[in-house]
Amino acid sequence: MRKLLRFLIQNHFIILFLLLESFSLFLLFSTNPYQKFAFYRFSHGIINHISTRISNLEDYLFLYRENKELLEENTKLYNQLASSYSGTTAKTADRLIQGSTDKYLYVSARIINNTVNNQYNYITINKGSRDLIEPEMAVICNDGIVGYTKAVSMNFTIVLPALNLDFIVSGKIKKNGYYGPVSWNGLNANIMTLVDIPHHVALNRGDTIITSGYGGIFPEGYLIGTVQDFRLKGGNYFEIDLTLSPDFRKLENVQVIRYHAKQELDSLQNSIRDD
Amino acid sequence: MIKAVQKYLLLFLILIAAQLLAFDNIEFSGYINPYVYILFVLLLPFEIPRALLLLLAFALGLIIDLFLGTPGVHSSATVLMAFMRPVILVVFAPQDGYQKGTNPRIACYGLEWFVKYAATLVIIHHFTLFYLEVLSLDHFINTLLRILASAAFTLLILVLSQFLVFRK
Repeated sequence: MRKLLRFLIQNHFIILFLLLESFSLFLLFSTNPYQKFAFYRFSHGIINHISTRISNLEDYLFLYRENKELLEENTKLYNQLASSYSGTTAKTADRLIQGSTDKYLYVSARIINNTVNNQYNYITINKGSRDLIEPEMAVICNDGIVGYTKAVSMNFTIVLPALNLDFIVSGKIKKNGYYGPVSWNGLNANIMTLVDIPHHVALNRGDTIITSGYGGIFPEGYLIGTVQDFRLKGGNYFEIDLTLSPDFRKLENVQVIRYHAKQELDSLQNSIRDD
Repeated sequence: MIKAVQKYLLLFLILIAAQLLAFDNIEFSGYINPYVYILFVLLLPFEIPRALLLLLAFALGLIIDLFLGTPGVHSSATVLMAFMRPVILVVFAPQDGYQKGTNPRIACYGLEWFVKYAATLVIIHHFTLFYLEVLSLDHFINTLLRILASAAFTLLILVLSQFLVFRK
């Protein structure tokens, strides 16, 4: 016993190191992406308060009111856009079910925290469930897609942006309609990758890639980026590098898209999967 | 003694705040992410009990992890770095050893000594950190470049801070 005790005291430095290091590694490897996310959300409850204040100060410097007016104007226009209305028959059905004629509702929000230099980046915006935001809604800016909402509290929402290794969206080549998954490989804050495009498809640098509308989160037709480079992978499929359209380093204002019939669509699709 | 504890506590808090509010927002071309909070571990006195050194490093890493949402990444890197510190201090010890009442700073042991000491530990820290963050060897060379660029920038800030902020 005394020997053991002496051993422990003599080697306490190494033992303590092994304990702390294995605890850290345990934390790292035992947390799944969702728990990591919960961790992030917890800590950001604390930072959000500070961020909002700093952001408010920045607003003062950058003409908050004018900005806000423009933004609201923009939202109003978006909501009036023809594509926000469904056809006449659907309109009646929508009205019966949702009590609303609009297919999509745009909610404008401001970014209060944004990272671009990690592998798993997140964006925090200043609107939450109080403004009808729910998880898995598309988030866009004037230049194209930003990401989708991940976790919502009353006044804040955390967005999983395109610059996150977990992000995936279905994109299609605008000129010919071929589609495939678009994701980020973590290397460059401007480049996304589109895969699964068959080798016979004619491609050019500068081709536009837009959202395909599959997957249920992003409506069809929002800009993702333009083709920068492409190569054959495994002989049959192209791997395409896209220049991401929005510059994530200077994002300020975004629009969250609420799709009224999403729940209906999801439950219909899930009903088949469950069988 | 109490004064010294207060001083290091203040340094601890300032470095965490600086890391989260300023340095985390720096990004050049996706390659450079400086992590200057480790200056705390570098500046702790020579005589500090080694167990306390590890515990402080762990606490520091864990707090940074908590705020960045990366459980375990920063704490493992910082603990490993603190574990290596006594060895590195012996390796780079001046001929007549470290004098009583001095600190591991440029003011006491000169620029060359500090750069050797800090660079080794910064590289150990960044190397662990970046590879644990990506958790794959897929982009080995790319990650290596990010490590070297970030480590160089971190080192530059650590050295400058010695001249500008922590002169005494």
